[in-house]
Amino acid sequence: MVAVAQHPNIEMITYAEVTQVKGYIGNFKATIKKKPKYVDWDLCTGCGTCAEKCPTKKLKDEFDLGLGLRTAIHKVYPQAVPGKFYIDAQNCTKLTSGKCGVCEKLCPAQAIRFDDKEEYQEVEVGAIVMATGYDLFKWEEAYGEYGYGKYPDVISSLHFERLVSAGGPTGGKVQRPSDGKEPKSVAFIKCVGSRDDTKGKSYCSRACCMYTAKHAYQVKDKIEDSEAYVFYMDVRTAGKNYEEFYQRSLNAGAKYIRGRVSKIYPRGERLVLKSEDTLLGRPLEVEADLVVLATAMVPSEGAGALAKAIGFSSDKDGFYQEAHPKLQPVETFAAGVYLAGCCQGPKDIPDTVAQASAAAVKICGLFSKNELATEPMVTQVDVSKCSGCGFCVPICPYNAISLEPIQERGHHGPFTRNAAQVNSSLCQGCGACLPACRTLALNLKGFTNDQLVAEVDALCL
Amino acid sequence: MSIDKSQWQPKIIVFACNWCSYAAADLAGLNHLEYPADVRIIRTPCSGRMDPLLVLRAFNRGADGVLLSG
Amino acid sequence: MKKRVGVFVCDCGTNIASVVDTEKVAAAARQFPGVVFATTYKYMCSDPGQELVRNAIKEQELEQVVIASCSPRMHEKTFRKAVEDGGINAYMFEMVNIREQDSWVHHDREQATQKAIALVRMAVSKVLRNQPLQVSTIPVTRKALVIGGGIAGMQAALDIAEAGHQVILVEKEASIGGKMTQLDKTFPTMDCAA
Repeated sequence: MVAVAQHPNIEMITYAEVTQVKGYIGNFKATIKKKPKYVDWDLCTGCGTCAEKCPTKKLKDEFDLGLGLRTAIHKVYPQAVPGKFYIDAQNCTKLTSGKCGVCEKLCPAQAIRFDDKEEYQEVEVGAIVMATGYDLFKWEEAYGEYGYGKYPDVISSLHFERLVSAGGPTGGKVQRPSDGKEPKSVAFIKCVGSRDDTKGKSYCSRACCMYTAKHAYQVKDKIEDSEAYVFYMDVRTAGKNYEEFYQRSLNAGAKYIRGRVSKIYPRGERLVLKSEDTLLGRPLEVEADLVVLATAMVPSEGAGALAKAIGFSSDKDGFYQEAHPKLQPVETFAAGVYLAGCCQGPKDIPDTVAQASAAAVKICGLFSKNELATEPMVTQVDVSKCSGCGFCVPICPYNAISLEPIQERGHHGPFTRNAAQVNSSLCQGCGACLPACRTLALNLKGFTNDQLVAEVDALCL
Repeated sequence: MSIDKSQWQPKIIVFACNWCSYAAADLAGLNHLEYPADVRIIRTPCSGRMDPLLVLRAFNRGADGVLLSG
Repeated sequence: MKKRVGVFVCDCGTNIASVVDTEKVAAAARQFPGVVFATTYKYMCSDPGQELVRNAIKEQELEQVVIASCSPRMHEKTFRKAVEDGGINAYMFEMVNIREQDSWVHHDREQATQKAIALVRMAVSKVLRNQPLQVSTIPVTRKALVIGGGIAGMQAALDIAEAGHQVILVEKEASIGGKMTQLDKTFPTMDCAA
């Protein structure tokens, strides 16, 4: 992370979103929306005096998924890059009611800017990498049998990561969110939302088998006299050293039970999991202090809208569609736009890094040229025949056609009317616009109506 | 009027998309998968290029069957 | 544009010639309207084969070229270049697929030859309607935009930057790192995620 921040060739724009992309391969224009931070980051030294004195201290920390607390002016987390503070406008007393302003008075760098506004910046780039990542499936909305999120001690794997992390809210001590006690029995349920057509997604999220093996290992490792139960459908360990890692978990004493959990309900301070061991064919009941759900990965919020804005497609689950599943796994249907990581589909860290490097190489290849040759077999418009109906515009999958005003001379002098215009850099020469043209104003060079009719006639002789 | 079926050779015109079906026909060739020689393929840049009028033209000129693939 | 088509039929060693009577195809092609020259050769894509095309364009003053050989997905680019080197526009050329879609999928010599003739007739008919096309070029802005500052975005940004190109990395949160920074140790090596 620090390497990214320090690299002279990388300009990092955080707390910002890309809202619009226009143009085509080699020549994109992107609009970046910078959200107001209310702190001048050129001045902020990251000393933390502001957060120390901020009176609004009991906000749920999003980074710790609500397991910890934070102030209204804060860093994402202590090791954030860049290590600067920003104000959560919704919860800042000064920004909501006009009172307070303690941070402004105390900031030694005088970096606080309560009048900070949204800013838009336009950049010109030649290629784009989509690396928008994933969100976790909202199991609370789908799995009633696990309590719809009602039981505080039924948590997601990412919550568990925060609990077990040295930098987390508990300093790496595994504690129950409900009462802070150390759980002696932890149950893991895999495929929550994954491989479940009825309640979740049909696909496998790929990383869960391995991180659950890791979690079970960590329970056995960190908590004395503990039990780790893993409820699974299958154990999938297709990766280098993965099977060995799973075996290590088993050897540490993790108990793997093949079966789905049908119900979780409280009994005293503990939770009861009703299930079945399908290998033995017997119903089963396990008592646990903490239940960890390996929830499915889903495309991150807003990913679909961004794809639409740029002009490429998503698959049935909302992941970005690669141009070819085997031969073009990092390309999209939009030339010059490449995919990296979970935005294309669930994957683990090694696969993500590999795909990101592949996308980078594609772009370096593109940048090794001064100019790009364009295929001349593109659609041309006979403006004199074009009626300006615009039927071709929405049909073009590459957004290459637009209606543009043209000047013409008539009986009563010059006038303006609309006619189709094809951007030959965007046009991929598919010819889908031709059948839509009722006046035969469009023709595809190299595959003209005339040429195809001649071919048909010659073959039918 | 009857057609001698042993002599009759239908004219089948195939419009194949360059990126999939045409490539698939090449693959069939690579694997030497035999099919009747009456099948004649016209390469199109994409099945989206297909104009219904081209299909009608083929029938009008005596094609017995048209396969559109993409 | 004058109608002076040259037709070149490839034997492809025995790949085509063992099933298709290439001489017969060339002879039939000579009868098609617009065709002024037709010949066969053992390997059209080889150096001497391409030389044959280049010379014929000059000697016969060809304006259009049809080459009947393998799939255009294989050698269209090769022959476009040869045609251009011969002195005519690269797009005044059509290719006929008489290997993958003829000799390799049929064994009846007569039927396969008839099919080849029909396909050549189709290409000649098309090439007579071809227009010279020009390849244009567009400039490239050597700067990349990476959307998302998680592990994927950071890795891509670093690799591109290391190659000497400018990168803009946009992240929606106030810190880069993404989900990975929330993780503890990671499998299978159990090293830290940060």
